[in-house]
Amino acid sequence: MSSLKLQHLDKIYENNVQAVFDFNLDVNDGELIVLVGPSGCGKSTTLRMVAGLEDISGGKLIIDGKDVTAMPPKDRDIAMVFQNYALYGHMTIYENMAFSLMLRKENKNEIHQKVLAAADILGLTDQLNKKPSQLSGGQRQRVAMGRAIVRTPKVFLFDEPLSNLDAKLRGATRREILLLHKRLNATMLYVTHDQTEALTLADRIVCMSMGHVQQIGTPLELYDSPANLFVAGFIGLPPMNFFDVEVKNGQLVCEDFTEELTADEKAALREYEGRQITLGVRPENIIEGGNICVRVFSNENLGQTTLVNGTMKKHKITCKFREWCNYKAGDEVMVSFNRKHFFDKETTQAIRLG
Amino acid sequence: MTSKNDALVKKDRLRFTKNKLSSSLTLLAIVFNALYFVCIYKSDVGSYYYQYMMGISVVYNLLFMLIAFLASEGVKSYKLNYSYVLVLLGLGQIIRIFILPMDATRAIVTLSGEEEVVMGSGQFTRICVYLISSAALCIIAGVIAFYKTRTLSAYQAELDRKNMPV
Repeated sequence: MSSLKLQHLDKIYENNVQAVFDFNLDVNDGELIVLVGPSGCGKSTTLRMVAGLEDISGGKLIIDGKDVTAMPPKDRDIAMVFQNYALYGHMTIYENMAFSLMLRKENKNEIHQKVLAAADILGLTDQLNKKPSQLSGGQRQRVAMGRAIVRTPKVFLFDEPLSNLDAKLRGATRREILLLHKRLNATMLYVTHDQTEALTLADRIVCMSMGHVQQIGTPLELYDSPANLFVAGFIGLPPMNFFDVEVKNGQLVCEDFTEELTADEKAALREYEGRQITLGVRPENIIEGGNICVRVFSNENLGQTTLVNGTMKKHKITCKFREWCNYKAGDEVMVSFNRKHFFDKETTQAIRLG
Repeated sequence: MTSKNDALVKKDRLRFTKNKLSSSLTLLAIVFNALYFVCIYKSDVGSYYYQYMMGISVVYNLLFMLIAFLASEGVKSYKLNYSYVLVLLGLGQIIRIFILPMDATRAIVTLSGEEEVVMGSGQFTRICVYLISSAALCIIAGVIAFYKTRTLSAYQAELDRKNMPV
């Protein structure tokens, strides 16, 4: 396995549309990096540039200390797992997994041993004589992964591999990918638009929007200390609540509530005195009891938690309470915030506490 | 030790790979038979040689190609009976040399007072090469299929025995 460096990568298409802007990332040996972002943010384009399926318009791609920017895909020693599996329907699972090695004219006995080892890791030993059409979606995706494993590439690339699976299977396959990563200790680059996948799988997450990297960090860093409004709104389910508030005499003031600031918060927001900022509060950081009045319009019990959607005078709000609640539309519930995030209204960047 | 291990892996590979060698050889045998089929009815002496044997020959050619094709698929999946079929088809191809081609090469026809050979030695040799090639390929394919199928069955039985609950 090996390291991967993406230095100032740009992608500009022939029609002058720029899909990726100055992408910089150092992937360490054995690290699992997840590229996450909404559709069209450039994450798949970045992955395809790494794979060699898209030309790199600017910047450098370095694998294991070697500049591979202009190298054809077959010489990069990279394996890619696609969303649609891309299996050969007329071949058996064994043949599908062995195919790339056969093309390289490797020793047949070695191919056999590699395929059996990969099948054993992925629990596919009993399926080797079947055709892809006889397998479930999850099994097919495992075959696609097996095809990548047998090559023992320097870097594994996953392009939304779980998107075609139903929710239950997605969870199971996600856990398998995680186990696989631990077992192989492989360098992996994983693209998804599903933040649950990103948070559960990643050693580090790269959050992207409109071709720009918004933040790179561990899942906890992105969740706990989002760099800007976009990351704050994108990471976390349900998404963070945002309020336009004014900093006034050590308080946050808006039509819906007035919140007292702590000493740390006051210090951080000193330069914003008298100005508007954006206050972000995660639904799980809202607790019952307090002086903020929310009028409930829906109550969704999810078992362990309850999502309560409501309105205030100006803003809408989503609260995630830990207990089973039975609010009815029109009920009023008093809440307070136990954790707040602040964002500059003009730059949308986070305002860090000291 | 390594070669022993290699032999074991080679056997194990049979569980997941098809017998493409036998299958391909059989298809090649069909090609040679088709060449024979194309060449056998050519005659320099016009319509002399029309007879019942030609009809039987045509039917046999069609049957040969059909059965050989089925056998090529059968041996691909390690079905033992098809290896016997291939050997029989191969022997049949050799026997065929002594029927229609031999008959034609011995036949002489008198046209405009002159004796003409129905099938020249060049054509006969070519036809013999096609039939012998077809026969050899069928027999080799059958023997390989027989050997591989027996090996696989024995290995499978050994695996089953090992996995059998005590």
